[in-house]
Amino acid sequence: MANRIQINKEFVDIMPQDYLDLVESGTYETPNRGWKDFGTATELIAEHSLCAGCPESIAFRHIMASIPNPEDTVMVGSTGCTSLVFPMIAVHNIHSLFGNQNAIATGLKRALAVRFPDRVKDVIVLAGDGATVDIGLDMTLQSWFRKERFTTICFDNELYANTGGQESGLMQKGFLAKMAPVGKRFEKVRLPEIARESGCDYVAIMTASKPSLVEKVIKQAVLIAREVGPTYIQIYTPCILEIGKQSMEGLQEMRTSEAPGERFKFREFISPEAQSFLDGLAEKKKAEKIATTT
Amino acid sequence: MYNVAEVNAEACVAQKGCRLCIMYCPEANCIQMDMKNMKAVIVEARCKGCELCVVVCDAAKHNAIKMVAR
Repeated sequence: MANRIQINKEFVDIMPQDYLDLVESGTYETPNRGWKDFGTATELIAEHSLCAGCPESIAFRHIMASIPNPEDTVMVGSTGCTSLVFPMIAVHNIHSLFGNQNAIATGLKRALAVRFPDRVKDVIVLAGDGATVDIGLDMTLQSWFRKERFTTICFDNELYANTGGQESGLMQKGFLAKMAPVGKRFEKVRLPEIARESGCDYVAIMTASKPSLVEKVIKQAVLIAREVGPTYIQIYTPCILEIGKQSMEGLQEMRTSEAPGERFKFREFISPEAQSFLDGLAEKKKAEKIATTT
Repeated sequence: MYNVAEVNAEACVAQKGCRLCIMYCPEANCIQMDMKNMKAVIVEARCKGCELCVVVCDAAKHNAIKMVAR
């Protein structure tokens, strides 16, 4: 079904230029889309209201460029800085109550399977660490226990950023924030390990400093969620304002935190079922490549 | 006064495949590729002046971007 993204000819003269650009050069229905489209194609995110230099917006751009089929994807968001971006993305999305995102995604995924039995529909949850780990931990864990087939992405900035810097479950031990002056007394919640034990078939923890790695992980996670089971990605997106950095220092902060031995060193867990699925995909790709070259 | 980034087209090495500033800019559709001249171009209306592009460009020793007042 080619060219599903079209504009009614009657509307061409009254729609804003940004909209026309999206229809014209947005990367819908494009196989092998990725960050390489940056600069030449219109991105599926525009003019968001996050702070200048916010690492979260870098991560958001890379994710929007990597999701395998944006025209058949529904994203579920929650309260936080991410909810400032959701109105500005060109993919169907739902804003849920704070913490409810995985419960909503569960119902949505099941309803889409009934409504569109012959079409692949992806559901992606994207929420901050407060929604995923503190307020919505119940819904997050229950969706993994039930093996619901969608991807959960957590933007981990290690505190409640847009309410002034309160302590969150993913904050490091001993960290002082503006609204947590005593310092955190407990360890950072080990959600990747919890996710693995709760039934996720693919778990990754990383920062947003390497676009190609983000692209690879997001694609794997969405494809595994389609066929095998729940997937979880935790991305470090530091809040430069709350940790006292300048706008241009966010990238260095991410690189420092992913050094060997640091808390965001890239780790991934792939279950045996997911691994055999990925191997199958790689073999298929190889066979296609040989078929095209010979 | 508001600071925005400006690309020096002579120093920019985008024709050799460099996409550093385009990759790391936090704003979407802000740094575009001029496919005719193969150089990076800043869309000033979208630039928030964070200087991340300057940092990555300087780190790669291209020194092609600087901040200008508007």
